Amino acid sequence: MTNGWVDIKNTDMMLIMGGNPAENHPCGFKWAMEAKRNRNAKIISVDPRFTRTSSTADLFVQIRAGTDIAFLGGLIRYAIENNRYAKEYLINYTNAAFIVKEGFKLPEDGLYSGFDSAAGTYDKTTWNYQEGEDLSGKTDAPASAAHAAPSAAAAPAPPPALPPNVAYDLTLQHPRCVFQLMKQQYSRYTPETVERITGIPKEQYLKAIDMFTSVRKDGDMKQVATIIYAVGWTQHTFGTQIIRTAAMIQLLLGNVGRAGGGVNALRGHSNIQGATDMAGLFDSMPGYLKVPTPTDADLASFLKRTTPTSSKPSPWGSWNYYSNTPAFFVSLLKALYGDAATKENGFGFDYLPRVDRDYSWTHIWEDMYNGKVKGMMAFGMNGVMIGPDTNKNINALKKADWLVVGEIYQDETSEFWRAPGITADEQKTINTTVYRLPCAGFAEKDGSMTNSARWVTWKYAAVPPPGQARLDQDIVAQIFLRVRDLYKKEGGKFPDPILNVSWAYADSAHPSLSQVAMELNGKALADLKDDKTGQVVVKAGQQLPGFALLKDDGTTMCGNWIYSGCWTEAGSQIQRRGTEDPSGMGVFPNWSWSWPANRRVLYNRASCNLDGKPWDPERKQVWWNEAAGKWAGNDVPDFKADSHPKDHLGPFIMNPEGVGRLFAPIGVLAEGPFPEHYEPIESPTKNLLHPEQSNNPLVKKFKSPYDKFGDPAEYTIVCTTYRLTEQYHYWTKNNPMNVQLIPEPFVEIPVELAEEKGIRGRDMIHVISARGKYTAKAFVTRRLRPMMIDGRKVYQIGLPIHQGYRGIQEDAERDARTPANLLTPAVTDPNAHTPESKGFLVKVEKA
Amino acid sequence: MSQASTELIRISGHPGTVPGAGLNREFQVCKLVDTTTCIGCKACEVACLEWNGYTFSETTFDNSYQTMPETAWNYWNLIKFNEHERADGSMMLLMRKDQCMHCEDPGCLAACPADAAIVQYANGIVDFQQANCIGCGYCMTGCPFNIPKFSPEARKVFKCTLCNDRVSVGLEPACIKACPTGCLHFGTKKEMKEMAQTRADQLRDVSGFADAGVYDPPGVSGTHVIYVLHDAKNPELYGGLPKDPHIPYSVRLWKGPLKWLGNLAMVGGLLGLAWHYMRFGPKKEEPIQPDNGNGRRP
Amino acid sequence: MTSDAVPRASAANHNEELIPRYTFGERANHWIGALSYTFALLTGLAFWSPYLYWLAAIVGGGPTARFLHPWFGLIFTVSLFWTFKEWRRDMEVDDGDRAWAKAMPYYIQNEDDKLPPVGRFNFGQKLFFWGIFCGVILLLLTGVALWYTEALPWSWRFVRYAAILIHASAALITIGLFLIHVYMSVFLEEGSFGSMVTGYVTRAWAWTFHRTWYEEIKGGSRSKQ
Repeated sequence: MTNGWVDIKNTDMMLIMGGNPAENHPCGFKWAMEAKRNRNAKIISVDPRFTRTSSTADLFVQIRAGTDIAFLGGLIRYAIENNRYAKEYLINYTNAAFIVKEGFKLPEDGLYSGFDSAAGTYDKTTWNYQEGEDLSGKTDAPASAAHAAPSAAAAPAPPPALPPNVAYDLTLQHPRCVFQLMKQQYSRYTPETVERITGIPKEQYLKAIDMFTSVRKDGDMKQVATIIYAVGWTQHTFGTQIIRTAAMIQLLLGNVGRAGGGVNALRGHSNIQGATDMAGLFDSMPGYLKVPTPTDADLASFLKRTTPTSSKPSPWGSWNYYSNTPAFFVSLLKALYGDAATKENGFGFDYLPRVDRDYSWTHIWEDMYNGKVKGMMAFGMNGVMIGPDTNKNINALKKADWLVVGEIYQDETSEFWRAPGITADEQKTINTTVYRLPCAGFAEKDGSMTNSARWVTWKYAAVPPPGQARLDQDIVAQIFLRVRDLYKKEGGKFPDPILNVSWAYADSAHPSLSQVAMELNGKALADLKDDKTGQVVVKAGQQLPGFALLKDDGTTMCGNWIYSGCWTEAGSQIQRRGTEDPSGMGVFPNWSWSWPANRRVLYNRASCNLDGKPWDPERKQVWWNEAAGKWAGNDVPDFKADSHPKDHLGPFIMNPEGVGRLFAPIGVLAEGPFPEHYEPIESPTKNLLHPEQSNNPLVKKFKSPYDKFGDPAEYTIVCTTYRLTEQYHYWTKNNPMNVQLIPEPFVEIPVELAEEKGIRGRDMIHVISARGKYTAKAFVTRRLRPMMIDGRKVYQIGLPIHQGYRGIQEDAERDARTPANLLTPAVTDPNAHTPESKGFLVKVEKA
Repeated sequence: MSQASTELIRISGHPGTVPGAGLNREFQVCKLVDTTTCIGCKACEVACLEWNGYTFSETTFDNSYQTMPETAWNYWNLIKFNEHERADGSMMLLMRKDQCMHCEDPGCLAACPADAAIVQYANGIVDFQQANCIGCGYCMTGCPFNIPKFSPEARKVFKCTLCNDRVSVGLEPACIKACPTGCLHFGTKKEMKEMAQTRADQLRDVSGFADAGVYDPPGVSGTHVIYVLHDAKNPELYGGLPKDPHIPYSVRLWKGPLKWLGNLAMVGGLLGLAWHYMRFGPKKEEPIQPDNGNGRRP
Repeated sequence: MTSDAVPRASAANHNEELIPRYTFGERANHWIGALSYTFALLTGLAFWSPYLYWLAAIVGGGPTARFLHPWFGLIFTVSLFWTFKEWRRDMEVDDGDRAWAKAMPYYIQNEDDKLPPVGRFNFGQKLFFWGIFCGVILLLLTGVALWYTEALPWSWRFVRYAAILIHASAALITIGLFLIHVYMSVFLEEGSFGSMVTGYVTRAWAWTFHRTWYEEIKGGSRSKQ
């Protein structure tokens, strides 16, 4: 979330799309209701199903799963055509005025410039800004000297970099300025086209986008709109691009950085945000630092590659906060390797593995299926159930040598050998050794959780773990210590990364999580002095007050730079429980601690106009205090504290441009600088914008026998998966209280489809995809309706993911014991590697 | 006693006005259920079970998100889900938390024959005292909302207590405590009525629900659970909320005229018979007379 | 058929000679019915009025009264049905009954000699029987609905509404009949009560109150086991 849960109460308009917060985030949804009750805010719910969120919405629009970019692209078009955008914001706080390199081509045919169809990759040279100066009114100016032909990708050129001085046109008239390109890109997304793609009747669509953009009627800046989404957007082969489209809308409408605005991801678990912050993905390091690749010869060249340099119109300023990458990274290495990290050995840079390819979720299972991954340790997740193509996962585990599952229940993963369809005879042939470790449940362990609003909140253990159950960190510590002992004893090929790990916990076999939190915050390893006065600010050994003091010379250590400030010399900030809210805007500055620097709304400088005055005086977040010569606020200013508004320092301090990116240059995203509508890999229709390039050109399919895809002639129904408010993922099917609320799995199908197939509510039905067969009772409903997609009737159905083959009802054989992900394909978004579970093809049969 | 000390009417030897006079403590409690902000999360259902110590009920899928068809003796709080298509073709998923309405004029209490099995507190809570319940089920007949439910095991009838045990020590009912969206509120009847009215006005003026209103049915002299409905003209849409609930006429007839008529008849009958005995005395057998051939006495 | 009149040892008086009126089975059934009715009556009255709720205490408290009331009602019903089977012919209303009905005021005023002769049961007794019979049918039907109120779905609630009214009304009718019955048999008509205890009446009693029946018995035209 750019903003936070409580902040939603400040909004005037909510677009809830790709998410169902009423059901999946009911506690946070309180703030949406507060906004409705107290501000007359409106909710627009766009979803393949009429959900419980839709029931509270002012307007519901049923969309075909996976056509969100078409919807949002049309919204951008509408906002521009009807002068419903934030002009001053757009010119000064986004890259709308930046001129793009000549040779850059928009994807009229579904492909941006630079596509190599043989390799299936892009040469992104032209996805860049033009070097230059103010080109206002010089639309026919000759192209810059740096004219790069899109085909000139023969020799391995140095990786493209952003120019330090960007050409710009503050009148936004230059044909290659970002604004004009964006306008051109989405001019194709007319309401008529959007209707044909999404299935939303034109009148309904216009009503929805008119309602949303009404906050910026005639460019008036007072009102604010928010966009709220969840995995309904991420779980597509173009998921990241959907979210980017939302970000572009919010920049266009000037809603980013403002109370009640922003782009707000609702995380599906209490600590998913924490997992991502802490490098849950293979291609990031803690605090979203980049991972070394085989091309990074040493620390210096790695830091040169990963530290951005500012790129902006020359009269403007750009703080480019990631220029501090060396300080963040070296402090991380000091946290990882302690004294073994020295200037001489590049602070242990060579101890880090180099990531040479995609190691994301679907690849783990593919590699296991192909015999490359021999074993798996599964903690805090139910691997078989969680990802796509359950059959493949089960068959992959059959080939593994061993499996360790740390859980509180006997889950489907640890009982993969008892999945439906595996006979007793076949069980005898499975040689995977399964180790089941009883772990502590969430109420049995302390530690911190980071919520969607980036609040890092400490929780306390309510009860001790029962029986032989152990804390996760104890198990991990035991394994680490024993592996280290083995390396000590036996040497091995390269024992240094293991032997040199800093393990400075008071009880090494039972690390305390508060010590881990202190490690994340970081401390001074030598006396730190103020650059100007020379005074010692932090003594050696003291906890750091925040990331501003991190150094790249090895005198500080910090496990995760964005968490620096969470456990300072003043004590644990994440255990704070202050309920004061002086501004009444739900900032609650003394309640736990929010990264970064206890800031509740990111980019909040953008909540003020160029002069540093809030766009809406009634919702004051931060402002320029001329007398003090400083930024002040109800929130912590996300800005250089003493930067005078006249300096025109960009409010998006994490971007080298200093401004928000309507156009994402070079390698920010894999598929192109502007999002383009692509069909899901399994779709009932060809892409109506460019039938020759229907899908995301960068999506790769696996070749295993389980990676099959349905022919739209046979599999005609669009299916989506979802969660219910009554169940929590895959565990609560072990809890009677939850089970009684939703006792059985079901499939929501439209009344019309049911009539066509002779299915009545409560009948058992099969939902069949190219990969598997799911069996459950039919939930015949009017909340899903047939849609007209390009003149053809298309049905959508949906099914919850919760039930599997282990649980109270499952054990009693009261349901068919089929997991929902039997149906889903293992194809992923090339940026975030998220599988496409929210839009695939099936057929339905009466059981 | 404590209330008595806050409101003074007269003070001895006191010049001028009486401080505290007219300080009227509102005793009437009320639960406000704003169906327009209910998200059907069922937290109230679970909170109710947890607080009241009930556990798992066997349920089956019934083509709905609804946990079970109606409340049960050990399941007092149930969200009713109803799909509704509006005249303009738009969809609604109406979700209404069903529970005892705590009527000002409770039909259950009117119908109950057992001494002190049902009581109504001054704060408006209608509570069943299972120790005194005889399990006759007349309350089920008296209730216009289908709330009291018979337990075959206990042979007693149970229903929502409005968490009388919590309210009496200054806590809000468990369902209110659990509600995440603020769809449930608890306070005095006056406050809740005002809050409900404000919300209904907002729904009418801002959200385009022309028929939005507050459900506080006069047929039972008002209830201590009130609803805000998008469409107050058609409460039946919300899982059979009666449009004009009142104590059934047959219960009124039975507990009113029929009772007095019956009492009169029984007492009158006894008196009549006594009068007859005193007036005419016993019938005595007579000696057999010779048969005169026609079977009649001479 | 010989008369089974039994001479009274102490008296040679023909009038005092005893003749059988009720068999053992009839008497046993009567008393089973009487007791079960009384039980149902008392418990029913306890539920009828708070001022009579104390009656429930006599049978062990409210819940017990609620539990037993329907069972005793059922016992009474069974007893009545048996009576119906046995006495159906005796209870048939005939032309003689119509004449008797016209002369009913004489009966009420104890001027029995002005009444036409009657068979085993007079028209009043027949009215009583059929009154109770119909009342019990209603009580049974509505009683089952009240017994298992919880089994009635909400959409059938009109049955509950009807049941409470009909059950109470039917009970009131039977109570009226019951009072008259008890009054007449215990207080009014001497010898009646004894007949239901011992099974015998005197010839004079039979001649006085049920002359036709007496003639049949005496003449042996009617067989009675």
